[in-house]
Amino acid sequence: MTKKKKTFWPYLLVAPAVIVIICVVFVPVINAIAMSFQQYDLRRPKDIRWIGIENYIAMFSDRQFLNSCVKTLLWVVFGVGFQFFLGFGLALLLNRKFKGRGIVRAVSMIPWVTPGVLIGLMWRWIYDGNYGVLNDILMKLHIIDKAVPFLSQKTTAFPSVIVTIIWQGIPFFALMILAALQGVSEDLYEAAEMDGATSWQKLTRITIPSIKNTIFVTLLLRVIWVANSVDVIFNMTEGGPAYSTQTLSVYVFNKANALNLGYASAMAIFLAIVLGCAAIPYLRMTFKKEA
Amino acid sequence: MRKLAALVLASLMAISMTACGGSSTTSATTAAETTAAAAATTAAATTAAAAASTTAASSGSAVTIKFRYWADNTDYSALMQNIIKKFNAENGKGITVVGEEQPWDGGAYSQNLFNAVMGGGDIDCSTWKLTSTPLFVNNNLLADLTDYVGKWDKKSDIEDNIYNVMKQAGGSDKLYVMPWNIQVLYVYYRPSIFKAAGVEVPTTYEDFLNCIKKCTMDTNGDGKTDVYGFGMRGAKGGQEPWGSFIYGEGGNFEDLTSDASVKGMQDFIDIYKNGNVPPTATSDGFNEIIANFKSGLTAMTIHHTGSSADMEKTFGDDVSAFAFPKGKGQWTSMGDTETVMFESCKNKDACFEWMSYLAAGEGQKMWCEGTGNVPVSKTVANEDFFQNNRFMKASIAGESYSGILPIRDTTTEWIATVWPNTVSQALTGDIDAKTCMKTLQDELYK
Repeated sequence: MTKKKKTFWPYLLVAPAVIVIICVVFVPVINAIAMSFQQYDLRRPKDIRWIGIENYIAMFSDRQFLNSCVKTLLWVVFGVGFQFFLGFGLALLLNRKFKGRGIVRAVSMIPWVTPGVLIGLMWRWIYDGNYGVLNDILMKLHIIDKAVPFLSQKTTAFPSVIVTIIWQGIPFFALMILAALQGVSEDLYEAAEMDGATSWQKLTRITIPSIKNTIFVTLLLRVIWVANSVDVIFNMTEGGPAYSTQTLSVYVFNKANALNLGYASAMAIFLAIVLGCAAIPYLRMTFKKEA
Repeated sequence: MRKLAALVLASLMAISMTACGGSSTTSATTAAETTAAAAATTAAATTAAAAASTTAASSGSAVTIKFRYWADNTDYSALMQNIIKKFNAENGKGITVVGEEQPWDGGAYSQNLFNAVMGGGDIDCSTWKLTSTPLFVNNNLLADLTDYVGKWDKKSDIEDNIYNVMKQAGGSDKLYVMPWNIQVLYVYYRPSIFKAAGVEVPTTYEDFLNCIKKCTMDTNGDGKTDVYGFGMRGAKGGQEPWGSFIYGEGGNFEDLTSDASVKGMQDFIDIYKNGNVPPTATSDGFNEIIANFKSGLTAMTIHHTGSSADMEKTFGDDVSAFAFPKGKGQWTSMGDTETVMFESCKNKDACFEWMSYLAAGEGQKMWCEGTGNVPVSKTVANEDFFQNNRFMKASIAGESYSGILPIRDTTTEWIATVWPNTVSQALTGDIDAKTCMKTLQDELYK
């Protein structure tokens, strides 16, 4: 029988990273949790005090908060959903051999590498109701007969920002899924071909099961990032018109900008808990594998 | 040996990670800080240090004053740098001003300034808008200028009323804010469009509403509106021209829920609903209303002399301005720009020299001539340049009934989020005028 030698070296080597993460992640989070139980408004610094769960109670009777929760759900479901399906399709396409594939792969990454602020500003002018190129194209194709103020009316503003976030996120899914597809053995497809499998059967019985872990992880990451994202919406509409594009992250941002940090922190903690719940299946899967 | 190497490597990792740590937290504090960091990219820092320090060395101890400002465009940016250079060369007291330009960014300038000063940033004085005053005063960040102005030899060159407005914003008898220049909103109009519509310059508020309707025209007979009567600003900043409609019906900011105030709001809704303003009005900000006016899409829009030079360059004589006409009441926004000194400033005397140069010295003349802003200095305002300019005349005509929004600690959030979204709800029919005004009243005075 051999005795396993206890060593502190793994812990020592990991310690610097853990210390930094504690300082730049956990300390601000703990600070935010503490602020969420306070009336912490820098416009009225003399009134800062502990108020228990009052911020959390106020949240659930705040119409804007409830509205922004609904907007966030729609934002994530449609934004990430369409990113996934279109990204998956693009990955399947880029996995085939064709002339110029390298250039197409590089160009398709452009939306992903463009900064969010620039994307917001660019699309704001594309959608502009008086000078936007989108209206110009649609009118020249006789699809519409007068310009649509996409970002100025409630019915079109939210779908417009969703289209923008879809455009931004497609390359991420395409890249991750493409990498996973390249790990799927060709032998499996050959064997399936010999058994007379259709394209749909190959996709559903071979491709998807082989890359399901990658799909799961990328969906999870993207749900968290999109739910938290502020830059695209803020630069396009700032949450308007009439709060129609105000997701919870944008509401938190606006409240924090107004220096009502206690209330903003309470909403941010709520969002973090909801997203944490979304990560639970992944964590269970990870710990199960380790066990 | 391997363990020693591993220990050295771990130490190096710790040092490098501490130097470039990052965060992925979603905490609100980090959100605000990230915003501040993203918006605080400095555009330019003026230095005449090399030249000025030689002068300073010969006249006494050299003092550097860090001055933060915003500029609406590159011309104004160059103008401020020239003013700084001139002051540095001529002050003869060894004072060197170092200018740090930050973008206005729809008001984010003030929030970034707050973050910087609260965080111990090295700024001695800055340009300013009154709406920020309660926040900074509550946090004891501003230097009291009462004694400085009291002993200033040019104090009487600025109207007492203007000092009173500054004190009002601070909420006490202390003077925290130094006047610099004002911008009185007026109405730009196109004489050629007025002629085509068969209207004259309106002299009453009712005439003005009528003018808006008549100037909304289909000029080529295709059944679509080609010219809108008015360029409405529905995004943040729009509360200033909007106020004129409220007062036009006899309302006021003290009671936004009165019948008169609600009627003014209804006028605002009606010109949107009736198609007299571009359909993009709910999200049109400064850039959009100016672009729409310059492209001929709108016949009138409201702004101030800050844009007049650009308008003249575009239209020549086919652009002019009139003061917002009187209805049951009359009001136009007095845009304010001032300077403040921070309590953390270590050279307050030198800092005040610079601030007074901007308020009533050569700096006042240069800035106001270059930007078209209305000078606070009576001496400068009496010069021919200001008396002979048609846009300046419209500003001066509106000065007697110009005013500011109530300065409260809720004002910044009200301007940035509450006003644009609540008014959008009213314009798009989600809520009626009465509900809109009640929300605005409740949020401003909570």
